[in-house]
Amino acid sequence: MNRINPAYIGVLLVMLLAMSLYLLNSAKDTLKESKQSFKETKKIATEIKSLKNAYANEVVTKKNIIRLLADKSLKSAEIKTEYKNSGVKISSKNMNKKALDVLMGKVLNSSYDVRSLKIKSITQEIAELELEIRW
Amino acid sequence: MNNQKGIIFLMKFNEQKRVVFLDPNSQLSIKDDEKVEIILSPSLYWVQKIKLPVKYIRDVKKLLPSLFEDILPSGNYNYSAYKNENEDESFFIFAYEDKKIIDLASRFGINSSNISSVHFAQSELSDLEGAVKINDSQSIYVKDGVVTLVPCCWIEESGNIDLENIKLSKHKITLAQFGHIVDNSSLYKIASVLVVFSLLFFSEYFITKQKISAIQEQKSKLYKEYDLKPTMFQNKAILKKYQGIHQNQTTLRQELSKKLKQKNIKLITYKNNNLKVES
Repeated sequence: MNRINPAYIGVLLVMLLAMSLYLLNSAKDTLKESKQSFKETKKIATEIKSLKNAYANEVVTKKNIIRLLADKSLKSAEIKTEYKNSGVKISSKNMNKKALDVLMGKVLNSSYDVRSLKIKSITQEIAELELEIRW
Repeated sequence: MNNQKGIIFLMKFNEQKRVVFLDPNSQLSIKDDEKVEIILSPSLYWVQKIKLPVKYIRDVKKLLPSLFEDILPSGNYNYSAYKNENEDESFFIFAYEDKKIIDLASRFGINSSNISSVHFAQSELSDLEGAVKINDSQSIYVKDGVVTLVPCCWIEESGNIDLENIKLSKHKITLAQFGHIVDNSSLYKIASVLVVFSLLFFSEYFITKQKISAIQEQKSKLYKEYDLKPTMFQNKAILKKYQGIHQNQTTLRQELSKKLKQKNIKLITYKNNNLKVES
């Protein structure tokens, strides 16, 4: 006569069902959060990578600047460069109009991190230039 | 000490259970925690002595509901059967209502947890010779091998029923305490549905857990591939720094292109994100 009350078994099964449903819902919430987090991380990673490539790639920036300063039209400007770990300082006391146009056109149309700039007109044709680019 | 324990164990093991004859007209006085073995009065069950061309009890049990189909009044019945040892191919078959028996036992103060076993009068008292009185108004006697309940005045009584020295047979039934609420098949169906859903949910849970692990793994690969810092806080700070640079450079170029439209420019300076153009 000591039979188990079916109500107990019923309650146990309902609890089992409720527990499985609760675990499933928690797992689904976690999955949703994980997906969201992955998506966000990927977006941040992509943005960091592209911005880093544009403004903080020392090797590429240095190479581009060397190539730019080797332009024939800039030879007369007697450009001085001072390379540091964090960037480069470019200066010239005798830069003609054409050389200034070429240099500034290329610098401003590319993604350089220009930290400081000073262009002072000496005469109608000659200007003094100080430019600092960081990476 | 060990002997004492052994004696207590033996006493418990050999604990005498009281045999009671359960009938709606009985007068019983039962103690709260007293264990009892019940003999059911013929008024609490339906019995048939039947010959069937089957060998085993299990085959008979399948036929029981249909054998009683036209006899029983409406109710929630359970069935039992055992082989009549005195005749070949002869069986005693029974129909009884669990709830009715439990309710009656409870009326006499017998808790269902204190019922050790339940027997039919048919299986326990079939050897009676003559009639025995079971209460003030009724007697039982065996007619054609069937224990029958009759009013006292019908037959000459041979005395009161003696349950003190009775040796109970192996034929007993287990009362379904809750059978009247939901029948077993419905219970099994409901339980099966609950179990199936639980299994489905658990399977889905494990699949989801695997998906989470896969995403975590992809995320780790992403950190390696893009050389990210260990925490999102650091990565967000780095992103903010580069976004600031990008914003400043864009603004510089936009403002410069506007201000270069001025004539006779003498000086252009840009420092600390501050652009000045003097003419």
